[in-house]
Amino acid sequence: MPSSTLSRARLLSRLGGNVPADRLEAAFFASKAEVQAGAGDALEVSVTPDRLDLLSEGGLALHLEGALALADGAPRLRRSRAGAASWRCSVDGSVAPLRPCLAGVVVRAPPGAPMDDGLLAEAVRFQELLHATVGRDRRAMSLGIYPARRVRPPIRYALEPLADVEFVPLGGERPMRAEEFFADHPLAARYGALGRTGDRCLTLRDAKGTILSLPPVLNGRAAGEAAAGDRALLLEATGTRERAVREGLGLLLVVFASRGWSLLPVPVDGPGGASSDGSALVTSSVRSLPASTVREIAGEPLRSNDVVAALGRARLGARRARGGWNVLAPPWRPDLLAPVDLAEEVILARGLRAEDGVVPPSGVRGRRRDSTRFRREVAELLLGLGFAQPNTTVLVPEAAAERLPGSAPVRLVNPVSREYAAVRDRLLASHLDVLARNTRHGYPQRFAEVAPVVVRTSRGAAETRSHAGLVVAGEGSGFAQAAATVDYLLRAYDVGAVREPAELPGSIPGRGARVRVAGETVAELGELPPELLERLAVPVPVAWAELDLTALGPLVARRDSTK
Amino acid sequence: MPGDPDGSPDGATPLTLSGPERSVLELLRRSSEGPLAEEEVGGRTGLADDQVRGTLQRLRSKHLAVVEEEHLATFHLTPRGTAARQHGLPERRLLDALLASGTVGPADSAWSALEDDERGAAIGVLRRRGLLEDGVPLRLRPGGRHADVGEEEAHLLDSVAAGNAPGDAEALSRLERRGLLKVERRSRKRWAASEDGRRLALAPEGVEPIGALSVAVLASGDWRSRPFRPYDVRAGVPFVLGARRNRYLAWLQEFEEVLVGLGFEEAEGPLLESEFWNNDVLFMPQDHPARSIHDALAVEGVDVEAPPADLLARVAAVHEGRPLPGESVAVGPGWGVPYDVTVARRAVLRSQTTAVSARFLAARPRTPFRMYAIDRNFRRENLDAQHHLEFWQSEGIVGAPGMNVRHLVGLFRELAEAIGIRELKIRPSYFPFTEPSIEGYVRHPRLGWMEVFPGGLFRPEVLRPLGIDVPVLAWGVGVTRLAMVALGCNDIRELFATDLEQLRGGTP
Repeated sequence: MPSSTLSRARLLSRLGGNVPADRLEAAFFASKAEVQAGAGDALEVSVTPDRLDLLSEGGLALHLEGALALADGAPRLRRSRAGAASWRCSVDGSVAPLRPCLAGVVVRAPPGAPMDDGLLAEAVRFQELLHATVGRDRRAMSLGIYPARRVRPPIRYALEPLADVEFVPLGGERPMRAEEFFADHPLAARYGALGRTGDRCLTLRDAKGTILSLPPVLNGRAAGEAAAGDRALLLEATGTRERAVREGLGLLLVVFASRGWSLLPVPVDGPGGASSDGSALVTSSVRSLPASTVREIAGEPLRSNDVVAALGRARLGARRARGGWNVLAPPWRPDLLAPVDLAEEVILARGLRAEDGVVPPSGVRGRRRDSTRFRREVAELLLGLGFAQPNTTVLVPEAAAERLPGSAPVRLVNPVSREYAAVRDRLLASHLDVLARNTRHGYPQRFAEVAPVVVRTSRGAAETRSHAGLVVAGEGSGFAQAAATVDYLLRAYDVGAVREPAELPGSIPGRGARVRVAGETVAELGELPPELLERLAVPVPVAWAELDLTALGPLVARRDSTK
Repeated sequence: MPGDPDGSPDGATPLTLSGPERSVLELLRRSSEGPLAEEEVGGRTGLADDQVRGTLQRLRSKHLAVVEEEHLATFHLTPRGTAARQHGLPERRLLDALLASGTVGPADSAWSALEDDERGAAIGVLRRRGLLEDGVPLRLRPGGRHADVGEEEAHLLDSVAAGNAPGDAEALSRLERRGLLKVERRSRKRWAASEDGRRLALAPEGVEPIGALSVAVLASGDWRSRPFRPYDVRAGVPFVLGARRNRYLAWLQEFEEVLVGLGFEEAEGPLLESEFWNNDVLFMPQDHPARSIHDALAVEGVDVEAPPADLLARVAAVHEGRPLPGESVAVGPGWGVPYDVTVARRAVLRSQTTAVSARFLAARPRTPFRMYAIDRNFRRENLDAQHHLEFWQSEGIVGAPGMNVRHLVGLFRELAEAIGIRELKIRPSYFPFTEPSIEGYVRHPRLGWMEVFPGGLFRPEVLRPLGIDVPVLAWGVGVTRLAMVALGCNDIRELFATDLEQLRGGTP
């Protein structure tokens, strides 16, 4: 779950400072945020991935105000007009192949309440969180925050030759040419490939030609860092996907809008005359919520006033409309995709208790699959023969194929460790480990397992099959014991089979066999070669057998059905 | 060992007697004068001493004879004891000298007539009785009673010299410590037949008892006339290695019983899945973090089955926010990302059993339906006590007209009660494929509130491409975690049990 560290004091001050702890705890439990006290003022908050807005103090405060009945309805989005004529951004067509999307908003503090250190820290922390989540580590979207007073609009977003770009990176002391920056700077090493193609890189410049940033890597020092006391900020987002850009910027807005900052959209002129006034970025969108959707999901008819009140507690504006309601979703609620999402808001805001549950009548009869019943029976038969029941992992060590030449386990591309690096194609691969781990215990040892394997097919694919593997280890153990057990199992199902010699992975040459039923292989068995026993430090002879229950099951079923 | 008259077909140890063992046992059983000394046994059976001892020990190890041990002591006078008997004990001689001359000092003949250690012992005896004044020369304390000094010891020395049985053991021990006596100690064993030895049925001479009750013996009817050789029932027997149900797998089956009892029908799916079934059809965005190389386990070198073309087209449409083929209105706005068919064909190890639900729904089951799957899933977790790359989920879906979130809560309550938990509360959650998404928390008596039942109603973006037109409740319970709680297991790795000693349920 995405998580962040918030300031408890700042959050509580937004809530009036004296909310009883049990009410606050109950409000958190009914929300999509989980909270744990950290050291000092720290509040460790984690949220479900659809409610990133709750990872900002502003967004969380808005939600809790509704849940605690301190406020309701959608917070007002104040529009700013100042400088509306000058703020504009042009997107050069050259950026299209690399990172085509851009959006911007200028936010202004309410009179007498400029940015303080706490708000700045919140904005920067939330910006990084959005990079990691919505931005997919800046690949899909990245955000920039600049003091508006240092930026002279209009702004230009373009792909420029590296040779034409020189700037002082934020935190740096001297001008750097773009080649040097991309070669040496640590952030360029991590994100450079996202903002550069060949000998050109993305730039965001203002009307004076000052480099605001090299998206999505780093701001330039000339535009400066936002600081306490700033009254207006330019927020921008660039990215590969318009939706990610819109979502990222919309979410960042909650930090400021929740504190009464006004919003001025920055119109964007795209290549080929396409332009957008950006107003959608700073306006709550209207979503339709049909009454039938609420009724069907909630399982009960709700009065219109109750629905509106519930949505208000969820900090959403709502008005009765034909057949349902129109709901106002603010820019920081990109999770509200469809009517079902709005219906969820109603249900959760009303609260869902265990006693509200209704056990649905069952008009159907439960049953296990025949294949499961068959597997269980085989497992029971083996248990009855005194075979212990280990439970091994499907993932096996890298060395599994090496131990059993001729086997072909499917390999993982991204294993966590060498111990779990391949998918077994036979239970014997796991059972060799069981033998090796139990050399300190007494012999004879007998164990068996009914479990899945993944076997390559002749068509280059692989399929999951169910096997029953058994092992007998001890003085006197040998092929005959394994074969007798396989015979017993087949006899238990009245299946006639033939044993044929076979050279098998994990068997002494001349002592391996395949068991066929109606021409199909249903089992393999053999004796482990001494060199393998030596490698496993197993001091006794070992025989094994492995039945393919996926193959055998239908044969047994067919026989049963013809009786 | 069939055919071996002394053997036992099942490994029991037969009780066999050699000729000497039989003779000695018969003698012990006949003895009317109680336990017999080894010499007596030898004398009456004609066996040599070492043969007697060996035979008796073997009878004892077969629990047929018991032994009692008699401890004997013989006393002899030492040269010093003989001298004391002739000339008087040193303390008596010193007393007599004091009585005669009043004092005895180092210059007196009575002083030098005693050896150093005799002098010390004599002075010690007189002082302990309070007869001497302090200091040297020695002087008797007036009024002391000294008539019997050395009398008892002299009497004992006389008895020993006469070969009579000793009397006061403590007094004898004192004389031994003073070097006046020497003691020879020895023990004598006396043997008798034990209870088992007396009860043992001995075959008449010349009749071979039956060892293994073999098929041949049964068929011959010999058993009618021959006695059975008894078994040594206390002897060790072969070690039996049993097997018991794996407790984790057994617990999963019990959980499954609950679902079957509630009318759920089982479904299953492959462990190696395409991303299509594992994610796409569940409306998981193709760039979702949970699908990254850091979270899902991908495989190489194998193809997975291609998704059905028509379903692929419908899933692509909902991801891109387009209307389904043949329709004019989109199901929803989608994810705003072009749908990539090559991603859909990538092979991964299944990360959620919801993929099984998707396959079940794609087969267009007849409504109403209830489906469950309890199976393994794989995620790229670092291994610790709480996390494993392999874990089990219990998937459940219910599809029927009118199903709603209250039914889902009702089923959570039913499941919780079935596993013995009464307290349940609900909180919001999120899954890309359900809306609303909720989480059922149950109160565990020891661990407090635990999230156990994540679930919701499948989104239209999931159901519509699959052609399902009834609401579908869905959940995926982390049964591995529930099992850990139920089984009192603190480390998830213990569920992958491979220790045969534990699995067999006995200690070799």
